[in-house]
Amino acid sequence: MVGDAPPVDRMTNSRTPVLLIAALLAPALIGLVVFRLYPIALAAGDSFFNVLRGQRVFVGFDNYIALLTDSIFWNSLWVTLWFNLLINPIQIALALGLALLYVQQFKGVTFYRILFLIPIGVSLPTAVIIWRIMLSQDGLVNGVLGIAGVPAQPWLTAQSLALYSIIAIATWKGISYWMIFIIGGLQNISPEIYDAAKVDGVKPWQQLFYITIPLLRPTLLFVLVADVSINFLLFAPIFMLTQGGPADSTNVLMYEAYKSGFIFGDMGRAMAIIVVVVAILLVIVGLQFRLLSGKGAR
Amino acid sequence: MMKTAKIAIVAGLVAGMLAGTALAQDKSLNMIVIEGGDTTAMQAVVNAYEAANPGVTINLQPYPFAQFFQVAELRLRSGDAGIDLVYVDAPLLASYASRGFLSPIDAAIDTSSLVTSALEAGKYEGAQYALPINNSAQVLFYNKALFEAAGITAPDGLTAGETATQAEVDELAETKRWTWEQVADAARKLTVQEGGRTTTYGFSVEQFGELYQLQPFGESLGTDVIGPDGYTAKGYLDSEAWTKAATFWSDLYNAWGVSPRSLGYGEGAQLFGNGQLAMFAAGTWNIPILSETDVDFGVAPYPYFEGGKVLTPTGSWYVGVNAASANQAEAMDFAAYLTTNAEGTRIWFDSLQQLPTYKPLLDEISTDASFDAFPQNVFRLGVYDSLNTAKARPVTAAYGQLQDAFRTAFVDIANGVPVADALASAVQKFESAAARVAP
Amino acid sequence: MSMSSNPVRQGLSLGAKHLVYALVAFVFVLPLWWAIVSSLRPNAEVFADIFPFTAKALLPSPASLEAYTGVFERGFGMIIANTLIVALITMAAGLVVNGAAGFAFAMFDFKGKKYILTAIIISFMLPFEAIALPLYTVTQQLGWLDNIAALIVPSIANGLAVFLFYQFFSQVPKDYAEAARLDGVSWINILLRIYVPLSMPTCISAALLLFIFQWEAFLWPLLAMPSQQFKVIQVGMAAFQQQYQTIWNQLFAVAVITALIPIALLLPLQRYYVQGLAGAGIKG
Repeated sequence: MVGDAPPVDRMTNSRTPVLLIAALLAPALIGLVVFRLYPIALAAGDSFFNVLRGQRVFVGFDNYIALLTDSIFWNSLWVTLWFNLLINPIQIALALGLALLYVQQFKGVTFYRILFLIPIGVSLPTAVIIWRIMLSQDGLVNGVLGIAGVPAQPWLTAQSLALYSIIAIATWKGISYWMIFIIGGLQNISPEIYDAAKVDGVKPWQQLFYITIPLLRPTLLFVLVADVSINFLLFAPIFMLTQGGPADSTNVLMYEAYKSGFIFGDMGRAMAIIVVVVAILLVIVGLQFRLLSGKGAR
Repeated sequence: MMKTAKIAIVAGLVAGMLAGTALAQDKSLNMIVIEGGDTTAMQAVVNAYEAANPGVTINLQPYPFAQFFQVAELRLRSGDAGIDLVYVDAPLLASYASRGFLSPIDAAIDTSSLVTSALEAGKYEGAQYALPINNSAQVLFYNKALFEAAGITAPDGLTAGETATQAEVDELAETKRWTWEQVADAARKLTVQEGGRTTTYGFSVEQFGELYQLQPFGESLGTDVIGPDGYTAKGYLDSEAWTKAATFWSDLYNAWGVSPRSLGYGEGAQLFGNGQLAMFAAGTWNIPILSETDVDFGVAPYPYFEGGKVLTPTGSWYVGVNAASANQAEAMDFAAYLTTNAEGTRIWFDSLQQLPTYKPLLDEISTDASFDAFPQNVFRLGVYDSLNTAKARPVTAAYGQLQDAFRTAFVDIANGVPVADALASAVQKFESAAARVAP
Repeated sequence: MSMSSNPVRQGLSLGAKHLVYALVAFVFVLPLWWAIVSSLRPNAEVFADIFPFTAKALLPSPASLEAYTGVFERGFGMIIANTLIVALITMAAGLVVNGAAGFAFAMFDFKGKKYILTAIIISFMLPFEAIALPLYTVTQQLGWLDNIAALIVPSIANGLAVFLFYQFFSQVPKDYAEAARLDGVSWINILLRIYVPLSMPTCISAALLLFIFQWEAFLWPLLAMPSQQFKVIQVGMAAFQQQYQTIWNQLFAVAVITALIPIALLLPLQRYYVQGLAGAGIKG
């Protein structure tokens, strides 16, 4: 499965302090089992049941089989994959760029740093409310563009734009947060490496691609896995802004599952969709581990 | 294992029986309710009830409006005995009842004092599952100054400085109700554009694309939104009547550009209060909000299509008893007090100012002189509509599916998706999702 | 390097630098600026210059502090204090619990490790909405409903935080631990004396993760505190969007306050996470 263990030294292995390991792991594992994994198992079990006239009926894989011929599900799957194919690289690239701006030292940088942190404390629902009003037909964004002579755009109401507007809002909200993790990773890179590179006359872009990014791999793996997981599960902005429209162009799987579970009272279908999403996520995260972990983590 | 379990059960039963006798006088009930004015009003009713029924306490658990349905759904589904009384939105009743969340209402409760149509909407498969707390009514607000500035005649309605008896209001509603065609006509003249941007909109509905508000559009032209079985939309939502209604809706946004797209909750009232909206089809609950603004407005009856039948939106909140509650009798007693008791209904009405479903209160609104003046006389319009033109939302366990498919279709139509495509897609979506919960 | 030899080019590059930073900052600030301006208006005028947009929408006129006083009259001071208590306790306990687990995974090899790691990763792959119902039932059985423990304890163990620490500790060279072991230093001392000081930036990232999780928590506080006596920020904010109207200026006032608190907590820690980094990245 995922998670290639790092190469472990034979010596530490031979004297594995079992009690110590147990003591270190127990609090986290107990917490995760009781408050996450056990509820997850119960919830996933719901995908094998349907509720008919108040009675819970075991239906085996029926809910999964029904998805195979469900055109709404398939459309939703493509929307989800396209959404994630775009948002994850964009967010991570911008977060990395922002982190590199953040760590520069010059007079007045602290002022900018404060401003870069703003979206961290604005909760997602609040960010969405603000952006929805700003992106409306006669709103602030179109007003600012109007000054520059750009005609008003239907940001959230056109099939061709809505998904990208949602990506932009989620990116606005997300990159400051991911930036902090990347800054933490940059901290682990020894300054001597950059000094040596400078002496060798390495150009800035070479430094970025041949030193910074490779040495950031463990951090980038974390950010990638965490960001992809969060974005696959993201549906609050869609719920609040477009409700899957226009013409289903923003109807991601998680929103489809939410509707089934909470609005349609159809938990069987909702959980079947969620189990499919988790399966897809596991495959993607497994690939990310293959690509980014292994050696070179030093 | 088995033995201890049995002992535990017996002990539990004994304890339960003892508690039952010892604490018969001392009950504590929980009720989930919407945060805000509803909670304030409910607390007032609870206080009066507790004063009259010593030994019973009712704790309110208020949840924000936007999350109420989700939290109620989760807690009811978990069989949570921590809820005794449930605040139920009319159209969700069938979904709750079909899944066994609610107890049938005690047949001993006398419901003859309640408006029949409101009582009917609390039934599922013939059984009463909830009692109406209050009703709702939609009207057409209009900005008098904007009509004057555009040089057109405003609809007949109730306005500040004028009084109206119930007979006068009835006449207004029967004979002077505008048609949607008249609304569209005026809206085109009232809409003002400056430099490619709309500065004044002619008309807007309050609840953008919502079934509650738009159901009379197609139904007044002769076809219900879904079939009587509750699970068929083909031949209904895509009928000629609904196509015509949806085309009108599309024209408001696309051909005529008289309505602002995708207004969120509360934003229409803001626009109207700022004087940027000339006509506003909205609930009477906006009256206190709009009275605080500088806009001089009138209130006209909810319009209908020319040649169609007059139908108006209706339905509001109900009270039900959680099937998992251990305090069935006490909960039923409070539900009866809240909905069918002269004192309970009065306290609720005085506090929240929503159209009642309790007939003696409606009679009082019709006859009492304190309702002659504006804006109190708007209630008389509500009385007329609730007794004559109100059309309840369809009773189906798949109401959530219907509401979602309907909203998606009408929002898409406003955003430019062709009417036929949007309605066909809504029919398909609703039927496939509804089939999964149909009995 | 060549730039430093030419003061004119250096001045230009400083100007260009400020331009780039100002542009990026503008994108971050604009929505909050508009929220600040709106929070200073009376509720009825929040939309006055927005539909359609005029430049006046970005100026707080007329200005009043009515929204801010209104917010505190509603008891938002208490609500913010509640949220800080919940978030800070979760953060402190979460750092210890998840840091210890991350250390154990990185340092030792044991049977079933891969499977446990996979389970930890799955633990953050489900939306909260999906597990809300079973979690509610578990919490009810523990008798924690309406108890602050229900808000804190289930959020302490965090799969993402374990994973973050695991990633960090795995890159620390093993020689450190081995050398210390040969000198007879106990594992606990190795963790506390060597690994914890090295992991300060990671601790800050993990602290942020745990803090923000609680800062944004919404559905769970609604479910776990049914009597609604103990409110947290997101729950308190939801009250501004009522059934029949929205109190916009207060909503924005709270948005501004809640945006500033995490920044105020994060800035003093800056010296731990941006030290000696001037050379990183694209500096020319």
